[in-house]
Amino acid sequence: MKQFPRVPRRTFLKTTRAALAAPLLIPSGVLAAQGRKGANDRIAIGHIGWGGRSRGLFRELAALREQGAAVSVAVCDVDETRLAQGAKEIPGATPYRDYRYLLQRKDIDAVVIGTPDHWHGVQVVHAAECGKHIYVEKPACCTIEEGKAMIAAGTRHKVAIQVGSQGRSQPEAYLMHRFLANGAIGKVSHVECFHYPSPVDDQPVPDSDPPPALDWDLWLGPLRWRPYNPKYLHGVFRWLLESGGGQIRDRGAHVMSCAMWWMGQDGTGPVTVEATGTPPPLGLWDSAVLMRVTYTFRNPDWTMTWTQMPNEQLPAAETRAEEELKDGITKITRPGYGAIYHGENGRCMHWGGDGGTWAERKVRDWKPPAGAQEVYKSPGHMEDWFHGIRTGRKTIMNIEAGVGVANLTILGNLSYILGRKLQWDQQKMEIVGDEEARRLMSRPQRYPYSL
Amino acid sequence: MASLDSLLENIKSNRPDVRTAAWLGAGEVGAPALPPLAELVAGAEREVGRAALRAMWKIVRHVGHPAAPEAQKTAVVSGLLDLLSAGGSALVRRELLWMLSEIAGEESVDRIAPLLKNPDLREDARMVLDRIPGPKSLAALQTALRQTADDFKHNLAQSLRHRGVPVPGLPDRKLVPTRQTEVKATST
Repeated sequence: MKQFPRVPRRTFLKTTRAALAAPLLIPSGVLAAQGRKGANDRIAIGHIGWGGRSRGLFRELAALREQGAAVSVAVCDVDETRLAQGAKEIPGATPYRDYRYLLQRKDIDAVVIGTPDHWHGVQVVHAAECGKHIYVEKPACCTIEEGKAMIAAGTRHKVAIQVGSQGRSQPEAYLMHRFLANGAIGKVSHVECFHYPSPVDDQPVPDSDPPPALDWDLWLGPLRWRPYNPKYLHGVFRWLLESGGGQIRDRGAHVMSCAMWWMGQDGTGPVTVEATGTPPPLGLWDSAVLMRVTYTFRNPDWTMTWTQMPNEQLPAAETRAEEELKDGITKITRPGYGAIYHGENGRCMHWGGDGGTWAERKVRDWKPPAGAQEVYKSPGHMEDWFHGIRTGRKTIMNIEAGVGVANLTILGNLSYILGRKLQWDQQKMEIVGDEEARRLMSRPQRYPYSL
Repeated sequence: MASLDSLLENIKSNRPDVRTAAWLGAGEVGAPALPPLAELVAGAEREVGRAALRAMWKIVRHVGHPAAPEAQKTAVVSGLLDLLSAGGSALVRRELLWMLSEIAGEESVDRIAPLLKNPDLREDARMVLDRIPGPKSLAALQTALRQTADDFKHNLAQSLRHRGVPVPGLPDRKLVPTRQTEVKATST
């Protein structure tokens, strides 16, 4: 069976350009690597998690289902109410509370994981060990150790993994990438990411018994046990450091993903990370409300900053005229986050960075000169994943890249809670010179929910 | 630097901003603050207890700084172990265990290891011993594996595997499904 080699980015760009010149649906086996599904073989999918984002991912697979390239055959959730909803929305799909039943099925080729962040590492490793291809929501992992285990499992079991930082696959992301890769503003020395604050649990409630439909123990999974509180879930898991990590992880995994991709810096990491922040004044949620993190990179030298700022300090979003709204150009509906790229010869900006990514006008108007470098144009995040499944080619947000971005967010939060600057060795993927911080690179997990 | 008295007074404030400023500044107060803060954590005032708990974590992370004097860290570890041994609610003792997991060394193992026999605390104690480096914590996990007769053997085996020690004859159960649903599929 074909292995997944590490492909240098330039090679990747050349080869994917050639591959993407081919139509999406071609005779079975033409693009398929040995032992892999051919282009017209239908890929059977199990959905792990059935919350808001998981349902979005199911919708994002609609085109592939309609083409006959995918079929959803199983759904899983630890909340029976949600699971019943999933069984209703995917007629014929087998419902499971425990994802491990789903992983046992030999007829399932791939899984889409849309669970809270604290489950991603364990479920990706388990799915890879069962030979499933994987789409996992971002951020990839909650600890440095989880990320290493995910990379190792993906490599060892030769499965295609796509991390759900789908900003990389958006049309205007391609324009930003092309603009920056061709040096339109010269060498970039600072990427200034901005975001509105994390919310405060300003109406805290006491711990209580979990609702009967919820398997609280299974929701916690690898996390240490604690009593149920409704402020842990569902979507609000994001505002707890253990299960989500705040805006820096939720949206940082998008905005910083774009930065690492466009800057050609996948596979690299900072040498230092320093964070400060403002904690919430009350309530269960503990992620920083306001925050500033500085990442210093060397060879090449550049800086990335992540700032969660009061709404009134956010940079203004571009106004798009009605006549511009054609050929895929849409209004900016998520103006509260994005990044400013500071180069030798000017700056450029984008908003969003996830399923909505908008480049400023000068980027959209930029015409590549003759001989300009072309960059990879994703056919869509799900389609790119399917291409990886069929051919063995690295996905656009492969697990190495996904872990690299997640590590940035993890290190930012670690520096915040420890109140000190951290030194990072990217080669070893380790914190250096700080015993307590080094212990926090991993988090012991409750058995049997372990890597 | 806050005094112990002012820290406790402000942690008990009914104003969220005052409580927050207090726990943010708790680090330098150090070990003497741990017993009264632990009492507040176990108390009836939920937000005061939460602020007290965050103050305790702040103290742990203050002495975990690479440049912190070793004596300060030793005093905090010793204070946490004394609180752990004093009994009290399982919820508070779990927090104490996890605080120890970040800064404690081998000197703590003899006082944590007995909790591997406590039904309420053994899983947290196992995870914490897994995190504390050195041969003594490893030996404690190995001893517990020999002495445990029930299913907890599998949990201990996981820690040993995580520490690089093979555990023959005790296969990993992590991929074995156990939770059945009552939800039925709908027809196509």
